[in-house]
Amino acid sequence: MNNRKKEKAELSENNNLQPHYWRSLAELHNDPNFKEASRHEFLEGVTNDFHPSQLPSFSRRKFLALLGASAALAAAGCSDYHDKGEIVPYTSKPEEILPGKANYYASSARDGSGILIKTREGRPIKVDGNSDHPVNRGKVSAQVQADILNLYDSSRIKNPLKRRAGNAFTETSWKDVDNEIIKELSNAGGKEIAIITKRIISPATKKVLDGFAQKYPGSKVYSYELFSNVIRNKAWQKCYSSSQYPLIKWDEAKIIISLDADFLGTDGDRIENSRLFAIGRDVKNLNKFNRLYTIEGNMSITGMNSDYRIRLRPDAQLELIMGIINELGYGANSVKLNDVIRKYSLPGKTISLLLDDVRKNKGKAIFYAGRTLPESIHIAVNYLNEKIGAVYLYRTDAANVELIPLSDDSDWQQLIDKMNNSRVAATIHFDSNPVYHLPKDLGYENALLKVSTVISLTETENESSVKANYTLPINHPFEAWGDVKIRTGFYSLQQPVIAPIFNTRQKEAVLLTWLSGNPDSYNDSLYHQYLRNHWQNEIYPTISSVLDFKQFWYGALHDGIVLSKDKPIQHGSINSDILKSKQPEETSTDRFIISLRESYNVGDGQFAGNGWLQELPHPVSKITWDNYAALSAVSAERIGVKNDDLIEINIDGRKLELPIFIQPGAADDTITIELGFGRKSAGVVGTEVGFNANVLLSKNDGISKWIYSASSVQKVKGRYNLVTAQEHHAFDNELLKDIAQNRGIIREGTVEQYKKNPRFLHEKEKHELHSFYTTFEYTGVKWGMAIDLNKCLGCGDCIIACGSENNIPVVGKDQVAKGREMHWLRIDRYYSGSPEEPVVSNQPMLCQHCDQAPCENVCPVTATTHSPDGLNQMVYNRCVGTRYCSNNCPYKVRRFNFFNFRDHFKSGYQEDSLFSLIYNPEVTVRSRGVMEKCTFCIQRIAEARQEAINENRSLKGSDVKTACQDACPTNAIVFGDMNDKESELTKFRNHELGYYLLEETNSRPNVTYIAKLRNTHPEKA
Amino acid sequence: MKIDYKIEPPVVEGRLSLSQIEELVAKPLETRPDKKFFIAIGISGTALLIGIICVAITLHYGIGMWGNNQPVGWGFGIVNFVFWVGIGHAGTLISAILFLLRQKWRTGIARFAEAMTIFAVICAGLFPILHTGRPWLGGYLFPYPNQHGLWINFTSPLIWDVFAVSTYFTVSLVFWYIGLIPDFASLRERTASKVKKIIYSIFSLGWRHSNRNWLHYEKAYLLLAGFATPLVLSVHTIVSFDFAVSIMPGWHTTIFPPYFVAGAIFSGFAMVVTVLIFVRKIFNLEHIITLNHFDKMNKVIMATGMMVGYAYAMEFFIAWYSGNPFEQFVIINRAFGPYAWAYWIMVTCNVVFPQLFWIKKFRRSIPVMLAIAILVNVGMWFERFVITVTSLHRDYLPSSWGYFTPTLYDIGILVGSFGLFFTLVILFTKTLPVVSISEVKAVAGGAQPSHHGGNH
Repeated sequence: MNNRKKEKAELSENNNLQPHYWRSLAELHNDPNFKEASRHEFLEGVTNDFHPSQLPSFSRRKFLALLGASAALAAAGCSDYHDKGEIVPYTSKPEEILPGKANYYASSARDGSGILIKTREGRPIKVDGNSDHPVNRGKVSAQVQADILNLYDSSRIKNPLKRRAGNAFTETSWKDVDNEIIKELSNAGGKEIAIITKRIISPATKKVLDGFAQKYPGSKVYSYELFSNVIRNKAWQKCYSSSQYPLIKWDEAKIIISLDADFLGTDGDRIENSRLFAIGRDVKNLNKFNRLYTIEGNMSITGMNSDYRIRLRPDAQLELIMGIINELGYGANSVKLNDVIRKYSLPGKTISLLLDDVRKNKGKAIFYAGRTLPESIHIAVNYLNEKIGAVYLYRTDAANVELIPLSDDSDWQQLIDKMNNSRVAATIHFDSNPVYHLPKDLGYENALLKVSTVISLTETENESSVKANYTLPINHPFEAWGDVKIRTGFYSLQQPVIAPIFNTRQKEAVLLTWLSGNPDSYNDSLYHQYLRNHWQNEIYPTISSVLDFKQFWYGALHDGIVLSKDKPIQHGSINSDILKSKQPEETSTDRFIISLRESYNVGDGQFAGNGWLQELPHPVSKITWDNYAALSAVSAERIGVKNDDLIEINIDGRKLELPIFIQPGAADDTITIELGFGRKSAGVVGTEVGFNANVLLSKNDGISKWIYSASSVQKVKGRYNLVTAQEHHAFDNELLKDIAQNRGIIREGTVEQYKKNPRFLHEKEKHELHSFYTTFEYTGVKWGMAIDLNKCLGCGDCIIACGSENNIPVVGKDQVAKGREMHWLRIDRYYSGSPEEPVVSNQPMLCQHCDQAPCENVCPVTATTHSPDGLNQMVYNRCVGTRYCSNNCPYKVRRFNFFNFRDHFKSGYQEDSLFSLIYNPEVTVRSRGVMEKCTFCIQRIAEARQEAINENRSLKGSDVKTACQDACPTNAIVFGDMNDKESELTKFRNHELGYYLLEETNSRPNVTYIAKLRNTHPEKA
Repeated sequence: MKIDYKIEPPVVEGRLSLSQIEELVAKPLETRPDKKFFIAIGISGTALLIGIICVAITLHYGIGMWGNNQPVGWGFGIVNFVFWVGIGHAGTLISAILFLLRQKWRTGIARFAEAMTIFAVICAGLFPILHTGRPWLGGYLFPYPNQHGLWINFTSPLIWDVFAVSTYFTVSLVFWYIGLIPDFASLRERTASKVKKIIYSIFSLGWRHSNRNWLHYEKAYLLLAGFATPLVLSVHTIVSFDFAVSIMPGWHTTIFPPYFVAGAIFSGFAMVVTVLIFVRKIFNLEHIITLNHFDKMNKVIMATGMMVGYAYAMEFFIAWYSGNPFEQFVIINRAFGPYAWAYWIMVTCNVVFPQLFWIKKFRRSIPVMLAIAILVNVGMWFERFVITVTSLHRDYLPSSWGYFTPTLYDIGILVGSFGLFFTLVILFTKTLPVVSISEVKAVAGGAQPSHHGGNH
């Protein structure tokens, strides 16, 4: 009671001074402890460091700590996280390796082209061209780029294999193998040791082989190529008595007439030819525009890009060329051009335009015959070129070099005879696959049974290695040393960029070990030393270098190439009687002509195990994962087949069953088949893909080595599913005919039209479209791309570059069949006109990075957004996978991960631990259920921006090159900043020929297409 | 069978007394399930199991198990979604709109139709989640505050969908439950089983059939009916926006909202007719769900069918009138392209067959209406297929055109969704009164005081 009274009294007392707020009764009672405690903001202990062990046993915080820890433990314990072991930093860091920064090393590819290999933290991840290389000038073909996949191929042989009883291979050691083989070789006696190789392009390798021949006198080198210039060179020799057909100045030719020569595809050095050809396709220099006539049996890359195209079966082309020779007045025989035109119902008007052009452009017109055509055509073409002054277009600054001439037919026949008579002690397949490549009727495979020691040096199992006693794994070119001499004027070097991944050896080092006679003489730098010595002793002295050898050598390795002085080239003069008394044989038109061509993608079959190349759509037909018999609709009707029906081709008893594909623009009665498919042993990916048309080859030439006249072609039972990356549409359907043109997707004109009215393309343009949304102002860099359709040849190199840069998975044939290929960049191919005489338009298609992207506003979770520098971005982590963005994309460039494709394809072949080394660490590897698409190589933009910041300057458009741009052999792709008024891109973007795709959807794309100009005559033939 | 439409026919036939009505409706709940029940649930359960297996495989491997591809990003998943949402439309229309319009005949079928709405929306609701590439991230579609500062995209119709369908489901469920309360109370009074009594007691929320109860009930019911009515129109309008808001020719069409709503009512009524034919027979409800009911529903089917037919015609007209070549191509391609078969199935089932209902004999013939109702359901499923797939498979760039072929998993999941729907329907018939006892009693003869006494 008393207390209460006191309280009240105190309160009333205080009231007079100021309002007294109290937080607790204790405060009210002025407890000194409380007074002390209230000075601190936090309760005692709250601000101490957090140690669960010090907490009282059942405190809330301890409970939460334990709960969190146990949840984390449970999550970690149940997750599939692979312990990759400790990450150990370098004790002594290699000088050149900076984590996160790529190193580039100059080297050489299998085909001799100069490359730069991008490595990250010691692993090669991408191949680009070496811009110093005189031939390929910074660009490389799809095959060279995709070779990186072969490096990380889990199907590579990992250890030396020896065949034991029961025919099974067992792993063994190099030492045992070397011992046994050296013994076998030494005991060869008078018998032959046959070394079978493909074309040798390395002087040092040639020296090794020479040395081997000295040590083992019985040894002989046989070399082959499935496709080569032998016919062309032989014809040249007959005409000019000099060894090699010259290189052509494609950039200076005004009129090019190609006779079944796919010089922009597989015939010759495609990269160089394309670059030079495209110089004559520059819309900024109309006077240099060239005109391409193509006369061919099947639609090729060259045919697609021609201004005039004449379909003609290969065997009839001699008659046509003779007719032309006579018509031009260089008469050699009695063939009448008009008769030829009538006989094959050729377009007379086109041919007369051709003749006109040739007459008017003497010295600037050239005929070029394909390498598969028979010698007689080459002779006629050489003769005609001489007459029309095309010799001025033969290059004298450089020529091809052949270190060891390819073995001819008689060499092979002798080898087979020796083998059959057991006069061959050992056969060494020196990185070659003769069982697959040599004509079956040569009987190599059977003859091999008579050879006691068969050795295959190879990276992956192949048809020849499975017949061998020893299969010895060799280094991939990226693990190997070497030098290359393919041209006069320079050497190039090959250096390893990664230590051998498996227990493999350099193929030359294997021979060196054998020729030393002592297995212990091998060491890892055996061939490196050998190569260096070879250069020091033989090449360095010929190059008048001011540097000492060591400096010279490191400089050479750095550059990848060494310029050398070679003898100037002289072509000599033609034997003008060469055509005398040559009368073309009458072509019998009742038989089908079988024309065998090299595959655009898998080469002669050595890239069959490469998923990237198998999945790369054929540049013309867009078929993936297969080869086929291409023929015209008329021919198909004659046989009674439709697409995907099987036919049997019989050439003098050599039979092949394969599916047909009706190729618009194919000549009638001509069946074209690409070789390189149907491999029986080509690893996980390449085995049994397509059909082995090598079986149609014969040791006895048909019309030529690669062209035969079929005994019969007939329909057989069954169908086969050919899979295309682009649907085929009927030509005769009114709705679909010329649809790409009608829709304004493909807009083209002629050079004449453009000269007359530079703005002809935009004549019919409609009013400007307005937007519902306010337009965003791009103040800084704004990225954009321009694609010059005059220069795009449709080769597909950019697709492989994109895939390599952006970690794009291989999905397999079954998924391509469903329309689920993952390529971020594709090349759309449209036919217009008639199915017989189609006009082809190519158009690379990738994300257009629209300013008003239809994909962006339909994504429910904002997983696709727009960046302030104009990129349409994809946030993988946020993506739920509704696919609405893809549906709403008018260009259909978005790609959805319907599966974890790496896991889905070939039982997880891409999930192999080795395979993951190939990935670009700057690009996320996307998994199942996520949408993806072209990013304009945002990782490269980010890198360039970082560099600009480091250097304290602003980012420029020219700092960034996209992967596709880097790879394009004709520089058809331009990338840069469209806000930079001076940039090349802006010039293209504002070009009169520039147009945007599907402008009517008001998506405002940032990819400009430069309309293709066809260099046809004003009145179209 | 001469019917004078000038006189409104009695809603309940056979002069059933109020107690008889209650008896009749409650009977299935008070008897043990018979053989027929087990056969029925066996069939629907098998279908459901097939669906579950297919869904499990899809979840394990990915959407790649389905036929979807580039360019057809949406296939059966979205087709089924729109189909089931459509089925769900009859229920709310009958219970809410017809209630507001004082259509007494709705009482016999409202409960069942509402239940079907709920089940159909359950079926529908599964698909948007299942069809995504990463269904486990479905939560991203909801606007929840998070430290990443991530937010959903309110311009995407898929987000509108999430709200529209979930609202529709919630309101339908509440509406259905409110209507069930007096019946739960009646059942509570009837049952002798202790367990059932507890359950019914809980769900009847202490209903005492008092005047106050009824007063509140009527008011709540009316308000909910008013609330549900706009939803009937909005849900399918928003579903149609999934297509109409895009820029794809064949999707980007202003006619879609009314066209979709009409189609939804059309298919919903057809499904109600299909199922009620069996329920009425099996549970001897011929007097409560009479031929007059079917007559009226068939008229609705015919009317909405013609609206849908009008929309089909209008698409052709607008494609021509707009002068948009892409639009024109899509429409012609629909009718004459690779998917012409689907288009003509749709037109025949949705426009041609319902015309038979002009004839009164057919409107009142059980076999005829069963056949037509099933055909309408087939046709309406194909309508969604035609809209979704044929527009996508050939759009702007001919280079990216493709063809969609469903896989076994697509078909399995479609079968499974029917399995789920019918399993729920069958379970419903044995657990809850399929007809609203209280409402039917209210419209039975002699239930309401009348100045001319008794039955009208």
